[in-house]
Amino acid sequence: MSAVQGAFYYMAAASIASALLAVTRRNPVHSMLWVLALFLHVAGIFLVAGAEFLAAVQVIVYAGAILVFYLFFLMLLDLPSEVAGPRFGAHWPLCALAGILFAALAFLQAPEKEGIITGGPATGNLSAVGTALFRQFVLPFEILSLILLAAMVGAVVVAKRRTGP
Amino acid sequence: MPPLGVFLGLSTILFAIGMVGFLARRNIILMLVSVEIMLNAINVSLAGFSHHWQDPRGQILALFVIAVAAAELAAGLGLLIALCRNRPGVNVEDLTQLKW
Repeated sequence: MSAVQGAFYYMAAASIASALLAVTRRNPVHSMLWVLALFLHVAGIFLVAGAEFLAAVQVIVYAGAILVFYLFFLMLLDLPSEVAGPRFGAHWPLCALAGILFAALAFLQAPEKEGIITGGPATGNLSAVGTALFRQFVLPFEILSLILLAAMVGAVVVAKRRTGP
Repeated sequence: MPPLGVFLGLSTILFAIGMVGFLARRNIILMLVSVEIMLNAINVSLAGFSHHWQDPRGQILALFVIAVAAAELAAGLGLLIALCRNRPGVNVEDLTQLKW
């Protein structure tokens, strides 16, 4: 087993463990910090898969912006009673059963034999991504900016305090 | 390099964990975070496909997923602010107005 493979299996195991801890911790802030660990390990998995730009975006956008925003929000609300109450609904065994069934069905669907693995990571990966993003996918890229703008305006409108008639 | 099946297995397990978290947690913020875990699981499988076929399109789709996750965060937390202004607490079992 090469070093890259060892690193991959370490990051896979660590991401599964941190995801499990994230959904089972009682304190919401602890859950968030485990999700942060999960996102950083997933960024490492992206690196092993040869997606350097995706790993950078994962660290900057997911871990740096999205999760910090969730943490701000959680601390702004200040919910001391959350730690005292039960963390799961009364129906949690059914939920766990659904998750196990989903994973079992997905693994049952896995094909017996795999296709041929083609080579290692491609050279000039970042330039390939950038070229495809701004040539072939330039229209979806622009639509995406519209989606983000709509979400921003919608969030401001919904969260604004109603004043006047 | 790890084969494609390992990426897909990891993605399946992470997705199942996120799904259980979404269904079972009572805190609505942690339900939204479980959705983020599920989106991340999908990104893992997309990166695995991109690596397997040496095609950048998988990574571009994963970038789009990240951007849509950011939009979902903005809309979801905006709704949550409006919700928390009208009633205390973030427990989903208290939100039963739409249930007959």
